[in-house]
Amino acid sequence: MHVHDFRAGVRAWIHARGDELIAAVGDDSVAAQLDHQRRVQRMLFDAGWMRWGWPKRLGGLGGSPILRAVLGEELTSRALVHTASWSMHEVLGPAAAEFGRPELVEEIFPRLLRGDEFWCQGFSEPEAGSDLGSLRTTAREHGDGWLINGEKLWTSFAQHATRCVVLARTGEPGTRGISAFLVDMDTPGVTASPLRTMADVDEFCSTSFIDVRVPAHRLLGEINAGWRIAQYILSCERGPIFWQRGAWLAHHLGMLVGAAQDAASQTVLGEAYEMLWAFRARSKATQDRIALGDLPGPEASVDKILIAAADQAVFDAARALLPGVIEADDTPLGRAWRREWAYSRAATIYGGTSEIQKDIVATRLLGLPRSA
Amino acid sequence: MAGVIEATERDLMTQTLRRLAEEFDGVHLSKALADFGFGQLLDEAPREAVSALFDALGRTGSMSPVLQDVLLQPLTGLLEDVTGACNIVLPGIGATLSGSLDKDVATLRGLVIGQRPAAVLLAPVATRGSVAWVSVAGPSALATRAVAGLDPALAITEVGAAGVAVAMVSSGEQASALWNAVATAGRRALGYQIVGAVGAMIDLAVEHARNRVQFGRPVGSFQGVRNRLAEAHVACTAAAAALELAWEADDEYLAGMLAKSLAGRSARIAATHCQQVLAGIGFTAEHPFHHYLARALVLDSILGSTAELRRAIGQQLVSARSIPRLVEL
Repeated sequence: MHVHDFRAGVRAWIHARGDELIAAVGDDSVAAQLDHQRRVQRMLFDAGWMRWGWPKRLGGLGGSPILRAVLGEELTSRALVHTASWSMHEVLGPAAAEFGRPELVEEIFPRLLRGDEFWCQGFSEPEAGSDLGSLRTTAREHGDGWLINGEKLWTSFAQHATRCVVLARTGEPGTRGISAFLVDMDTPGVTASPLRTMADVDEFCSTSFIDVRVPAHRLLGEINAGWRIAQYILSCERGPIFWQRGAWLAHHLGMLVGAAQDAASQTVLGEAYEMLWAFRARSKATQDRIALGDLPGPEASVDKILIAAADQAVFDAARALLPGVIEADDTPLGRAWRREWAYSRAATIYGGTSEIQKDIVATRLLGLPRSA
Repeated sequence: MAGVIEATERDLMTQTLRRLAEEFDGVHLSKALADFGFGQLLDEAPREAVSALFDALGRTGSMSPVLQDVLLQPLTGLLEDVTGACNIVLPGIGATLSGSLDKDVATLRGLVIGQRPAAVLLAPVATRGSVAWVSVAGPSALATRAVAGLDPALAITEVGAAGVAVAMVSSGEQASALWNAVATAGRRALGYQIVGAVGAMIDLAVEHARNRVQFGRPVGSFQGVRNRLAEAHVACTAAAAALELAWEADDEYLAGMLAKSLAGRSARIAATHCQQVLAGIGFTAEHPFHHYLARALVLDSILGSTAELRRAIGQQLVSARSIPRLVEL
C-alpha cells in the first residue's frame, strides 16, 4: 500500500462515513470519549484502515508504520478521535509486538487493533518521576509466575484499561534491575483510582498493585531488560504519536484563524503556526527515518521539546485570540477549549520533562560533560 | 532528474565549498567559486548549491556576491535585454519594498548586500498599491553609503536617492510574483547563512563549556549552562529542518518565510545563550564570537525580521482561512 493511496483512501472513507464518525456533543467525560473512540476504531478495523502498518501475524495487513501516522493525522486533524486516547495503542503496541511472547501477542493484538481492548502504561510512581530508574514497585518470583506489589501514578486511562505494561524491580537498584510485564487490569489486587487533572478531567489514575499474580509468560523480553523496553516505548512515542498530536494542534489552531483580524492577533497566530511548523518540519525527518526502519535515538529529544513548545504556543494563542473563553465560557465548546488548554500545560512534563530532554541533548548530542 | 545529485558528490561539494569559504572572502571568494563552477551548479542543483554554500558562509563568517546570483535567478527571463552584471536592491531594514515609483521617476531606499561591480541596479518598488520592478543604469551616480554598522565585514551598501530616472522592467501580477520568488530565494539563502553562524556560535560555546573549569568542574556540567546550550541546539535544529522543507513545501513562499523566521529565532536564542556561556571572553574583540553574533542578527533583520514575518505569516493564514500542512508524509 503506497502512502499516497492510503491517505486518499482514508480521506474518501472519512468523507463517505460523514457524521457517523463525529462524537456526540454534551458528554465530555473520558468514558464517553473512549466509547466514541471504540466505535470509530471498530469501523476503521472492519474497513481495514486500522490494520495497515501492523504486522500480518498480529492481525495487521503489513506495510510501513508511516501508514499509522497518516491514519492518525487524518483522524486527529478532524478531531474525530482525541489525540491522547488515540495514542495508547501506539505507545504500547509496538513494544508488546517486539518483546511479548509470540503466542500471547498473536492472540490479543487483533483485539487491541479492533478497539476491544485498551492498554495503559504503568511507569511513573510517587517517588519515581523523572528519575524513573529508581522505581520501587517489585516483582518477585512466585510459583511459576510473579507477584507484583507497588503503586503507579499518572497512569492515563487506567480505570478503563484492559491491560497495563508495568515496570517493576526484579533485580539490583537502578536501571539494570527492572523488568516489564503485561498485566491484566482485572487481576485481583489491581486497583485504579482516578485522579482529577487541573482541567477537572479524570484522565489519569493512581494504580495500586497488591500481591498481584502475573503468569510467567507475561514478562516482556528478558528479566532485568525492562529499561530497554521502556526506552523503546518512549522512542515509539516520537513516531506516529507525535505526528498525529501535531495534527490535533493544527486542528485547534485552525479554529483560531477566523478570530485573528487585527495585526496583533495575526502576529500571535503566525507565531503559534511557526512553532507548530518547527515541530512538523523536524518530525517529518524523524518519520521519514522511521519509514526506513530506524528507531529514533537521543536526537528525538529535540522532537519532544519542540512539540511541547508548539502545544503550549497553540493554546496560549487560543487564550489570546478567544478573549474570556478559557476563563469564563461554560458552553460545551468553552469547556473543550479549557480542557485542551489545561492539558497543554502538562506538555513539558509528561513523556519525559523538557528538563530531562535538554539534559539528553546536552550530554548525548552536544557532548557536554554529565551534570553534577 | 536534473537538480538531484548523489550523496557522495554532495558531501564532496559541501566540503569543497566549506574549504573555499574558509580560505577566501568577498571578491576573492567569488573568483574561487567561479573557478569551481558554482554558477553552473546553481543552475543545475540550486537546492544543493545554496544550502551548502550559504551554510559554509555562515560557519566561516565569509560573504560572497554570489548572493546576488541567487537573488537574480528567478528574474532570468526578464533580464535577457539587460547586459552586464546586475545588483538587486533589497528593502531596507523594517521596510517591505525598496522604494516607490511615480510615473518613471523613483525614490529608492534599500540595501545592496553582496555587492559587486555592476552596470545596472534592479529594485522592487511600490507603485499604486502593487509592486513594480525597475532598473537604474549607471548606479554609480546614485547616492550611496557604505554601511559599517554592527557588522562592517558584511559590506552592505545603502542606497537612498530621490528623483531617479528608471526603466520599468516588470509590473502587475508578474512583478508581484517575481518579488515573492526573489524574496523566497533570498530568505532561504540568508536562512542557511544564519543557521551556519548559529552553528558556529554553539560550537564555540560548547567548546568553552567543556574546557572552562569553575568550582572544580567544567562549567558545561552545570544544569543552567547545559539548558542554555540545549535550547540553542534545539532552535538551530528546528530552523535547519524548516530550511530543508522550504524547497519541497507546496507553498514555497510561506515555507520560505517560516524558515527565515525560525532561522532568525535561532539566532536570537543562540546569541543570548552562547554569549552568556562564553561570558567575559566572548565579550572581547579578540574572541571570534561577536562576528557570528553580528552576522546572524544583521541577517535576521534583512528580508523580514522574525517579528515582521510572523505578522505576514499570520496574515497569509487568515486569507487562506486554514492551517496548511505544507508537506505530507
